[in-house]
Amino acid sequence: MRTTKSSLIVLSLLVVFTMILTACGPKTPPATEAPTQPPEVTGKLLMLDWAGYELPEFWMDFAQKYPKVNVEFSFLTESAEAYAKLQSGFEADLVHPCNNYWKIMVDDGLVQPIDTSKLSHWKDVNPALAAQGAFDGKQYWVPWDWGFESLLVRQDLVEKVPESWADLWDPQYAGHIALVDGGEANHVITALALGFEPWSTTPEQDEQIKQKLLELMPNVLSIWSSQSELDQMVASGDVWVGSGAWNQSYIGLLKDGYDVVYIDPKEGRTGYLCGFAIPSTSKNYDLALAMIDAYLAPDAQAYLANEYGMGIVNTAAISLVDPETVKLLSLEDQNVISRTVWYKYITPEQRESWTNTWSEVKTAK
Amino acid sequence: MENRRQFASLIGPPSLYLFLLFLLPVGLMFVYSFRAGITGPAHDVFTLDNYRSFLTNSHFHRLFWRSALISLTISVISSLLAYPLAYYLVFQAGRNRVTLMTLLIIPAWTSYLLRIFAWKLILGSSGLLNSLLLSLGVIEKASPMLIYSRSAVIVTLVYVWVPFVALPIFAALGRIDRNLLEAAADLGCKPWEAFLRVTLPLSLPGVAAGFFFAFIPTLGEFVTPLLVGGASGQMYGNLIQDQFMRALNWPMGSVMSLAMLVAVITLVFILTRLASVSDLGGVYE
Amino acid sequence: MNKHKIFSPGSIYFLLMCVLLYLPILLLIIFSFNDSTRLVFPLKGFTLQWYGKLYENRELLKALGNSLMIGFGSSLIATILGTMGAIAIVRFKLPGRSVFLAVSALPLVIPYVIFGVSLLILFNEVGIRLSAFAAGLAHVIISIPYALLIISSRLVGFPDNLEEAAMDLGASYWGALLKVTIPICSPALLAAFLLCFTISFDEYAIASFIVGTDATLPVYLFSQLRFPTRLPMVVALAAVLMIVTMAVMLFTEWLRRVGQSPAKKG
Repeated sequence: MRTTKSSLIVLSLLVVFTMILTACGPKTPPATEAPTQPPEVTGKLLMLDWAGYELPEFWMDFAQKYPKVNVEFSFLTESAEAYAKLQSGFEADLVHPCNNYWKIMVDDGLVQPIDTSKLSHWKDVNPALAAQGAFDGKQYWVPWDWGFESLLVRQDLVEKVPESWADLWDPQYAGHIALVDGGEANHVITALALGFEPWSTTPEQDEQIKQKLLELMPNVLSIWSSQSELDQMVASGDVWVGSGAWNQSYIGLLKDGYDVVYIDPKEGRTGYLCGFAIPSTSKNYDLALAMIDAYLAPDAQAYLANEYGMGIVNTAAISLVDPETVKLLSLEDQNVISRTVWYKYITPEQRESWTNTWSEVKTAK
Repeated sequence: MENRRQFASLIGPPSLYLFLLFLLPVGLMFVYSFRAGITGPAHDVFTLDNYRSFLTNSHFHRLFWRSALISLTISVISSLLAYPLAYYLVFQAGRNRVTLMTLLIIPAWTSYLLRIFAWKLILGSSGLLNSLLLSLGVIEKASPMLIYSRSAVIVTLVYVWVPFVALPIFAALGRIDRNLLEAAADLGCKPWEAFLRVTLPLSLPGVAAGFFFAFIPTLGEFVTPLLVGGASGQMYGNLIQDQFMRALNWPMGSVMSLAMLVAVITLVFILTRLASVSDLGGVYE
Repeated sequence: MNKHKIFSPGSIYFLLMCVLLYLPILLLIIFSFNDSTRLVFPLKGFTLQWYGKLYENRELLKALGNSLMIGFGSSLIATILGTMGAIAIVRFKLPGRSVFLAVSALPLVIPYVIFGVSLLILFNEVGIRLSAFAAGLAHVIISIPYALLIISSRLVGFPDNLEEAAMDLGASYWGALLKVTIPICSPALLAAFLLCFTISFDEYAIASFIVGTDATLPVYLFSQLRFPTRLPMVVALAAVLMIVTMAVMLFTEWLRRVGQSPAKKG
């Protein structure tokens, strides 16, 4: 009796879920007919991308031009994952890590050069950002999105708003600080707080950075690894000062009515840049290029800034972005941008050493 | 002969499966633990350096023992909490016991991550508990004191594992012959004597299984410490995660994992001996 | 045995545990109707927009489908393999037994990240395409020890000669297993299946490496954490899953009672 009952439970669960899935399951969007394209291109394009960028708004041009191409997404949660996956043989047609991984992926032969002449929007890409994607005179990476990392502060909960990265060590914030879970980010901000040049620290300076971080740990409440976590903790008031916070955290919380301020530390905010490349193993080079071009289209870029609050690279798209957002994000504020400390590629030795330091610091207590 | 054939055809398929999809990949990891790096020429250089630097790093060792202690605490508390639960279900819940057992497992179908977010709603600064204590005047200022700490990691993981620990105890208690208990009562045993002399010893295999259900997976935990451990609750699993995902030092990560593998096997072995549950369901001998 | 004392210490303890287990879930259900992207008190207002967005989200529903498929498939295989292994080690004291035991318990010990990476390497070497199927294969491995432990701890309690008795009555060995041993184990088989499903359904670390483009629910969920505005939609999904599960449980319970009562009279 018992047996029948439990199997009944399991079975009915299966049936119900199947029903739900078929009832409200994937509806194929009506295929847009493209009569001007006699020989329809078919095939598959595999994107190794961050979740959220799979939305059709980001690649409308591609979908219109190649309605029969099946676009699939595999999701990343860290840039390192892109590197690790390609390294162990994962075959993608486009990959989207951030610039601290660009050089190593080029050096290891994981990605191939981009024929920029085939990108209709290339002429509008901010040249300073584009330059970061070129190695040995060849363009390997097409930058697409960027943003700041800084201190996000609950103005209503603190006595005094911090002005420098060094203020993180101020005891008035003790017990209400969240640090980002990453050796690189914490190395960089501590170096900035100590007045070092983050990417060329000496071993002695590395030791000082470690000691300085160890001093900070007793004041740290939590370590965050995804934006949702940080936003939740800031919104709930558990955290007063979030370190390494992205500007989209700021704008999101502000829109929801929280009294937050995004600091412009006197040493400068740190900044990241991410973009696309075509893995060497891709057999769909031309389709991949067309996809990059679609992502660069002004509408797609404007959508990125408006919906996600991120920095964009297509200068022709800025006029399409809500001016309030542009202002809040300092997307055009040269005073902020010129002082921004951009992440750079780091050597495997630096990565290892900084990660080990951070591992040790966060588990020291 | 007949016996052997039956044995072989029963044990063959699971063995083959385990070999192909478990021993083979773990073997690959073993090979990786000797590599100098994962890319370029370092990939083909084999060395003992990884082992050397692991053995000389006292920080790793300290953290390892601390994590083992945390896991031990979690499994002991979970077993203590789960036993009465399983006991109630088997001996007092009557016909409904399977339904009620299922009821305990079902919350685990909700993503772990979301349940943690929900716990923050209860324990955080603006959470239910703080509001309650504030309105009762027990505390004057809301604070997230109950979360982001080593004890938060323990509480959270106990919460997660209690139902799973209850399962094998439930199964073990369920197969105890009721006649034995009646016989004990007939012989003048008081209920608690019958429990200590009959029920408990017979259910020990289930308790041991439940204990390991909680102990082993929590040892490698890295998500919970990250989410609720704050600055003092990080564990050995976080180090391994860092080596694989951040430092991209797979060889070192492999050494650290293998070390844990060896340590766990040894620990399990010793614990089963110590607890003298040599009949651990006749499973571990 | 059927005397139900509603307020025995046992039932109070059980209720207390249930409250603890379900309180977070209740909160999630409440917040799935909250008109704010933040899971933070105080509540803002009532909305159904998250359910609307959920309904429109193809990727999320696809991920749910994948998770259910992987969960059912892998638990089924793990339960079958676990049963075979359990019978073999409990009934036969033959060499090879302890080696098998040791190896089959190892998946409990290995950190999932590591297992995920090593499988990724292996699958690439042999050319198995990364997919939901591949993740299912892996989930069988991590489920086997649970199935094996549960089923064998049930088997141990029964005398060895059950099958022999059945064989004396003319059944073949395999017939005896199917007709006698398996039915005896059935509560354990179900417990094992349920547990395996639960483990697979919420497993993230391994799946994230090998699902390729067939994201499972946890993989999708973790990837969404980058976008806080999409969190409530996932909460809405959790609420739906929980409500449907509970409804189905209550319904089957009701079915059983209705089905049972005439039998009692007769």
